[in-house]
Amino acid sequence: MASYFQNIRETLGTIFEGLAITASHFVRKPFTLQYPDRIDIPIQDTLPFRYRGLLDVDLEICTGCLACERACPIDCIVIDARKDTQTREMILERFDIDLAKCMFCGLCSEPCPTGSIHHTPEFEGADYSLESLVRRFVKAPVAAYKPTKGPETDPTIGPVLKRGLRYLDEFASPGAS
Amino acid sequence: MTVAIDVALEREGVGGLETEEMTLNMGPQHPSTHGVLRFVVKADGEVMRRAIPDIGYLHRSIEKISEKVGYHGFMPYTDRVDYVSAMQCNQGWAMACEALAGITVPRRGEYCRVIACELGRIASHLISVGATGMDIGAMTPFTHCIREREKINDLLEELCGARLTFNYMRIGGCAWDLPPGFAARALDFINRFEPLIDELNELLSFNKIFVERMANVAVISAEKAIAYNLVGPNLRGSGVRYDVRRDVPYSVYSEFQFDVPIGTGEKGTLGDSWDRYMVRCREMKECCRIVRQAIEGLPAGPVIAKVPRTFKPPRGEVYVRVEGSRGDMGWYVVSDGSAFPYRTHIRTGSYTAMSIVEELSPGLMIADLVAVIASFDIVAPEVDR
Repeated sequence: MASYFQNIRETLGTIFEGLAITASHFVRKPFTLQYPDRIDIPIQDTLPFRYRGLLDVDLEICTGCLACERACPIDCIVIDARKDTQTREMILERFDIDLAKCMFCGLCSEPCPTGSIHHTPEFEGADYSLESLVRRFVKAPVAAYKPTKGPETDPTIGPVLKRGLRYLDEFASPGAS
Repeated sequence: MTVAIDVALEREGVGGLETEEMTLNMGPQHPSTHGVLRFVVKADGEVMRRAIPDIGYLHRSIEKISEKVGYHGFMPYTDRVDYVSAMQCNQGWAMACEALAGITVPRRGEYCRVIACELGRIASHLISVGATGMDIGAMTPFTHCIREREKINDLLEELCGARLTFNYMRIGGCAWDLPPGFAARALDFINRFEPLIDELNELLSFNKIFVERMANVAVISAEKAIAYNLVGPNLRGSGVRYDVRRDVPYSVYSEFQFDVPIGTGEKGTLGDSWDRYMVRCREMKECCRIVRQAIEGLPAGPVIAKVPRTFKPPRGEVYVRVEGSRGDMGWYVVSDGSAFPYRTHIRTGSYTAMSIVEELSPGLMIADLVAVIASFDIVAPEVDR
């Protein structure tokens, strides 16, 4: 009989202990935020620089080296590039990324020499069909970017390359501190 | 009427009315089986005769995939082995490849790994502790746990760009160094989080109703736990002080001071569900200690060693152990000298925990099965791989 009342007392005691903790949250700062548009800036801007969202390619600085295609473990990147026999330039004919297959691992952006293929903070990729998730970056065949010795002088490519190299700098390189 | 009952009683003996064993399916889609997992429950009324786990619903042939994608390409797949604590899986694969090729990881790389792993372990234990409460019927502690886990996810997102499938480690080190200010923010989090463990204990662990549900349920003796090859917190809950980090030190764990909490049997019997649950609560504090020491002793230098892109380890085989959140995780890799592993095998803690469910179940209530599964902290994809 004594243990029966003891149990009731302990149960009530611990329930009130728990309720006291819950009640203390009335005076703490709320933690949750409603998702769309309840903060001043777009949610994408609040994400860290390394955030691995949907893939994007800056074709202006793509060298056509196929490093990303080789690195992708699920072959969601398809690149067709041929060498022009007269001008000896790489011509990109196709650069498709199947975002439906992509698992956002970041292995493709790591070996890119110019930071052309990179993850954006964009994550809202919902769509009605699988085909529309295949991003085709090459509309018409273009010549691949040829790295210049020294700083880039072309005013259109310069800023893009700067952003690409900044993206690459985030990756740890062997030997650097 | 009374005569008929008397006749029935006479026929059945002292037991009373005639009962029939029924077969129930718990799962595959059941909120408390923590994933797609099915239990065939043979029950007599509410008392189980047997509960047979039926696994394989989440089998994704991850081991076979490794033979097709190569050493570097398999790293993102290891995230999917145990998606609740992916960091330790990353480390297991990286360590196995490094052991095959004889690569030494830079010291800063090892420290980054330890920080990431221990933060991941806290996140995993928070899920486990919260989900245990939710399975038993306490909704609030789960939200408290998720709130803190969110902070860890934010930290890890800053570190490696993803919240769940980190893909942070590479063969030879880590892909990213700690971002500026990360150490301070991680310390801030640890300092704020540590008192919250006590609050959580008050809220849930020592709640009388919770204790009644968990204590003395599914007691596993130390001998039985070892015989059934339980690992990690499930083994430690039975009072066996075994932790890979301490007993077979890997990485830089031998440089840190930490205790290995074991079950005490203070609320019921040693090795009951409550002990297994409580080990996780206590382990979170030890994780905090390790993170603090790792941040304080963070050396300078590179985080990744030079590893060729076409990684071809010499012929041979390795077996490395990592202390995952669900215990001793084994990675067995056979190399035939080519760019693809010849065979990979992953040994996980949840899988071995499934083997003892059938042994434990006779005599338990059906509702207790939920407590048992929760106390084992089973993650269904880790069972099947």
